[in-house]
Amino acid sequence: MTETTTEIISTKMNPNVLPHLHIWEWHIPLYLFLGGLAGGLLIITAIMIVIKRHFGVGPRDEGEGCPCLAVRIGSLLAPVLLGVGMLFLFLDLANKFYVWAFYTTVQPTSPMSAGSWILIAFFPMAVLQAMLVNKKFLRDRNIGVVNKLIDWTEDHLTLVALLNAHIGIGIGIYTGILLSFFYARPLWSSSILGMLFLVSGISSAAALMLLFAPDNEKPIYSKIDVNALWIEMVVLGLFVLGGITGPSNNSGAMMHLIGGDYQMAGMSYMLWFWGIFVALGLVLPMLLEFLEAVGVHIRFPLVAPVLVLIGGLVLRFLIVFAGQTYHTFM
Amino acid sequence: MADKKNYGMVIDTRVCVGCSACVYACKSENGVPEGYCRDWVVQETKGRFPKLSMENRSERCQHCENAPCVTYCPTRASHYDDNGTVQINRSRCTGCKACLAACPYDARYVHPQGFADKCSLCKHRLDEGLDTACVSVCPTKSLNLVDFNDPENKAERLMNGKEVYRQKDHAGTNPSLYWISARNKPGE
Repeated sequence: MTETTTEIISTKMNPNVLPHLHIWEWHIPLYLFLGGLAGGLLIITAIMIVIKRHFGVGPRDEGEGCPCLAVRIGSLLAPVLLGVGMLFLFLDLANKFYVWAFYTTVQPTSPMSAGSWILIAFFPMAVLQAMLVNKKFLRDRNIGVVNKLIDWTEDHLTLVALLNAHIGIGIGIYTGILLSFFYARPLWSSSILGMLFLVSGISSAAALMLLFAPDNEKPIYSKIDVNALWIEMVVLGLFVLGGITGPSNNSGAMMHLIGGDYQMAGMSYMLWFWGIFVALGLVLPMLLEFLEAVGVHIRFPLVAPVLVLIGGLVLRFLIVFAGQTYHTFM
Repeated sequence: MADKKNYGMVIDTRVCVGCSACVYACKSENGVPEGYCRDWVVQETKGRFPKLSMENRSERCQHCENAPCVTYCPTRASHYDDNGTVQINRSRCTGCKACLAACPYDARYVHPQGFADKCSLCKHRLDEGLDTACVSVCPTKSLNLVDFNDPENKAERLMNGKEVYRQKDHAGTNPSLYWISARNKPGE
């Protein structure tokens, strides 16, 4: 069999399409990270509220119907971080004046349409939870509308939290399937990407809560984090294996990510993926938190959560960039 | 049914000389901004020296019947037109770029004014019963506008008995552009 070659010369020159797709820069990975983080915060705080109210498990309440400090701060941060993320999302739109068009239709086959509606559901519910868990401080302020809103809903905090746990999961998954429905981009075309981003969002959120939780509340977030990291590693393994064992489009794209010498900020994807994300962002913090949980003294306990947050951010950048620099579906 | 159009193209690569007249006709007809293109010419050389074969072809949006850009568009800006083509409503386009990521043919770009843009198969000319700009200037009749619903079935006449392909058929997009392969013998 003689070797044949194919040479293709094209006069196409559209700048954001060639030499490779280049439509999403730093805005989108940052938005996906913040969205995942906000979703994770909402899930964790909502579940903490439910299990404390329902089973009496968890750190001691603040009193006067307000949960512990980390849950209160986490509930506040969720809508704030998502708001910042959505600002980046808006900045990425090329036709900003037409942003209203998202809210004039529901397109069931477009994850971006579903996502824009979930985002709308997120805000009132997350803000309501943030208000209810901090109600004793809000009551002091004595703002008429806020007081009324708290009066109406304060007996239903568990219900609000239960709904929010679902909305949080919706946001977390949405940040992944936003990419995974594009079969034209082989790296993204994996249905487990939604789960990966969800679990990564939960581990990042637990890490963030670990940073600001008071010492007596830290152990529970450390446990959530170490378990989320463990699940994240399993899901990541499935994502990588699913890619490698897939047809040539997908296996090539996966090798482009995990073994590629294509560079991001002066370092190859391979180093970013294995060195920064897997080793520093997953394995090392999991080990540190595990050791801490079994009683080994860790000199700098905040290193682990910071590494998890960096890992989560790097994952979003890697997936968004590597998905664009690999060739289109063939 | 009889009145309803279903436009597409049959592109005869046997006679395409790669002159790019289609590209420049499109640019001037549609006011395509500098540095961008809605259609382009590809020259594909295959084989092993000295046994080489070459195919020139003019490419553009495939006006898929199952178009990923329409599936993914969150605002219905990308939509199917009654005449069988895929069009963009500029006053609903947010510039989210989902359609660019969704297109397996990389046929779209972001217009400097912010909306997603691509070949419209010269809808404004089709509506007046004219050929597209690219078809009207093609000096070798490589480009042919066809209506798949036309009872005279020009498409069938052009392709009958020849080796014909569609691009990335396995993507399931059901594209409306057909290429008569350069591997066919020249002539009728």
